[in-house]
Amino acid sequence: MKCESCNKKHATVHLTEIVGNTKKEKHLCEECAQSVNTHLKKIPSPTEILTSLINQVAPEINEMSKITCPVCGLSYLEFRSNGRLGCPMDYTIFRKGLIPLLEKMHSGTQHVGKVPSRAGKELIKKNELMQLRNELNKAVEKEDYEKAAELRDKIYELSGANDENQ
Amino acid sequence: MNFQAPTMKISDLACNTGEWLRGTGPESDIVISSRIRLARNVARFPFLSRANLKQKKEVEAVVRDRIRESDIAPDLCYINLSEISSIDRLFLVERHLISREHAVGESERGVAFGKTEAISLMVNEEDHLRIQVIHSGFELREAWKTIDEVDNKLEKKLSYAYNSRFGYLTACPTNVGTGMRASVMLHLPALGMTHHIEKVFNAVMKLGLVVRGLYGEGTQVSGDLYQISNQFTLGKSELEIIEIIESVIPRITTYERMARKAIVAESREQLEDRVWRSYGMLKVARLISSEEIMHLLSQVRMGVNLGIINDIEMKTLNELFILTLPGHLQKLEGRELDSTQRNVIRADYVRKRLGK
Repeated sequence: MKCESCNKKHATVHLTEIVGNTKKEKHLCEECAQSVNTHLKKIPSPTEILTSLINQVAPEINEMSKITCPVCGLSYLEFRSNGRLGCPMDYTIFRKGLIPLLEKMHSGTQHVGKVPSRAGKELIKKNELMQLRNELNKAVEKEDYEKAAELRDKIYELSGANDENQ
Repeated sequence: MNFQAPTMKISDLACNTGEWLRGTGPESDIVISSRIRLARNVARFPFLSRANLKQKKEVEAVVRDRIRESDIAPDLCYINLSEISSIDRLFLVERHLISREHAVGESERGVAFGKTEAISLMVNEEDHLRIQVIHSGFELREAWKTIDEVDNKLEKKLSYAYNSRFGYLTACPTNVGTGMRASVMLHLPALGMTHHIEKVFNAVMKLGLVVRGLYGEGTQVSGDLYQISNQFTLGKSELEIIEIIESVIPRITTYERMARKAIVAESREQLEDRVWRSYGMLKVARLISSEEIMHLLSQVRMGVNLGIINDIEMKTLNELFILTLPGHLQKLEGRELDSTQRNVIRADYVRKRLGK
């Protein structure tokens, strides 16, 4: 089919316009279509559509997509497609992208469990304090003030008093 | 300390099962076993998906040697999984000593376990090291004590990948933090029969727990056996996670007992008939498929719990769930069998075990 406008080139764009009850069909080549219908230029390409979709669903991907771990060579996109990380360093390199994922999977993003003794006494103390603060919040929620007072004392004792406003 | 010679061990295993199937421990009429596993990785090595063959071998050697030096159990043996047949690997999966993924993996990998099979250490599974402890009955806290000690011993010799924000770093972010999966295996036939099981699942899921089949992730439920385990591993401590599971299990067991009572009250004859028919089938059938046997064993197990049948030990029944699986039958026979051959041997084996 030839283009209805220039009658030279092959018609590749087929437009259907409905005005009231009448249906009008136009068959144009790409060049003529562009000049006739300016809004055609605005139709986004598939990649653009995909990018905007990704931005809506997982905004961190776009930003993170350029990042690759210098240690193991894994890119953030590879991680998102197979769900496995490549090395311990990835947790630091991809941290920004990981945190929203971890929020969805877990009940928090701060580790409050076991600490290897190699990681040092300070860390163990820090985690213990965090644990006690969690328990304190729970006790206050349950209005168990006796338990709360007990926990508060423990926290004071462990932290060495005054800096307890964080 | 040296590992025991493994080749002798694997065939020795085929005629009995691990201690966790002995049917003892709290609530063991309904709770078959309590299991905890910890995922650990060695610092300064890539996770397995990004490690080359040389690195995988190095990790395997390092972890294996540290396990051997750590005095975890006096009779630990170590099996290199790439050196044994696929039937042997299937056999280890059926005994819950290795995971299904570990059985089919490609890299240098192995497993260490002791005589009682309570402790197993998988090397180069999805993570460099997966420690597992299984106890019979409802004993999560005891299992935690055991595994915590094993972990402490290893940690003295191995530098784990760890950071203060995210805890123990794992290949899959769904395991990060504590790296702990605690699960309890339950036998819930009455809740299945009365169609209340869905309600249990919905309630359990709201607490952040998941329900799975006999062999974990993605496996079918059969024999009314279910595993309930924690979904999240980060943001709560090991004991907090265990407490959540501990608080749920008694409610489920009570619910199951209520359902059993209701069935007895409403249709005692039908129930007794079902139980005795299943028992009869096990004693006389000449062909039993793996699916059928799970169903029959489940009915008989409930019959024993309700006092309908008195002449079988719980241990025997628990063991038959495992000993009649395809890998075990092939190991017992010492050769490969197709499914029809297995159905014959399975029926033979059960008749012998239940025959007087």
